[in-house]
Amino acid sequence: MKAILLAGLVSIWAVVASAHSPLMATTPANEATLAEIPTEIALIFKNNIRLTRVTSAHENGDPMKVEISSQTKFATDFLLPFNGVERGDYIIEWRGLGEDGHALNGSFVFTVK
Amino acid sequence: MPDLWGIAAIVAKFGLYLGIFTAAGTVFTAVIFRLVRYRGVACGFACIGLVSALMSFFLQGAMLTGDASGLSDPEMLGLLWQTPSGTALMYRMAGLGLLIAGLFAGRIGLVGSANGGVLAIWSFNHIGHVAGQNALLLDLALMLHLLVAAFWIGILMPLRRLARSRETADVAASVGHRFGQIASVAVPILIVAGVYMGYVLVGSVSALFGAAYGQAIIIKLTLVGILLALAALNKLRFVPGLQAGDESAARKLAKAITFEWIIVLLILATTAVLTTSLTLPT
Repeated sequence: MKAILLAGLVSIWAVVASAHSPLMATTPANEATLAEIPTEIALIFKNNIRLTRVTSAHENGDPMKVEISSQTKFATDFLLPFNGVERGDYIIEWRGLGEDGHALNGSFVFTVK
Repeated sequence: MPDLWGIAAIVAKFGLYLGIFTAAGTVFTAVIFRLVRYRGVACGFACIGLVSALMSFFLQGAMLTGDASGLSDPEMLGLLWQTPSGTALMYRMAGLGLLIAGLFAGRIGLVGSANGGVLAIWSFNHIGHVAGQNALLLDLALMLHLLVAAFWIGILMPLRRLARSRETADVAASVGHRFGQIASVAVPILIVAGVYMGYVLVGSVSALFGAAYGQAIIIKLTLVGILLALAALNKLRFVPGLQAGDESAARKLAKAITFEWIIVLLILATTAVLTTSLTLPT
């Protein structure tokens, strides 16, 4: 009986995918390669969302908070300041709240050469 | 894979389902079948439901910040409170509070408890994938689905207890028989409502097999299939055996119900994953 329970749990676990990610487009685009370090990043969502936390991390550094204190409304389009320091790979991680009360999160990456 | 907070959110959701449905189901069946000794079970599971509802809410705060600071961040929690998450928490606390209070006010209080159970279940209409669709028929389907599920879960523990004692075997036979009669109408309603919701939310057969959400639904359906087979066995073999005074039937019934419990737990766990961390296919 325990074996059945375990097998069931494992098979449930197997289908666990990543959390909700209703991101429609970003600038820079996911996995894009740029010639210069951008000064702004844009996130465009399918539905209204309230951003609650955005971080950017350089491949050699710790994640730094992206300034979002001016974003106090539910919206689909966000333009955020970006403070890159050097060339290399960046990962942007975002978290937010959908209007339906669901917590949402996701990430995208880009490279500056 | 979800992060640590995501896993905690799934666990809290599982506790929420287990607590609300078992507590509500216990009082529903106590009213319908005039059962006794329901207070401890109902009260215990209502408390599990209350704690899980609060945990679930605070964990959503943590999901918003990605770290423990969100658990107590007034800005994040205030934001959540204004969304359907806050409304659902309010219904759950009010419903389970009423359910617990009613347990200490005799048979009349029990009716209040049952209403509290309905109120707590009603909270699921205000949140989640179904609420996102904003359709009356879906709300109705969800409500019927959940009420029957609670009713089904609610009979398991009392029936098993009654079947395991020789003195109450005849009560078990009669309760089991009447439950079977109601279930033969109610369970098809549960299934039709569930399939309807799945169809509206998933949308196509290819999405059912392609996306993780659909696969989770298939796991759930398989588990429900096993549960139905067990229930049919109970209804067609063990309960009639019990009515005829066959003592081995009582033992088999109790065993089958234990097995039903395990399947129910797996179904609730699958549902928690389905509703917490899987995206609807687009």
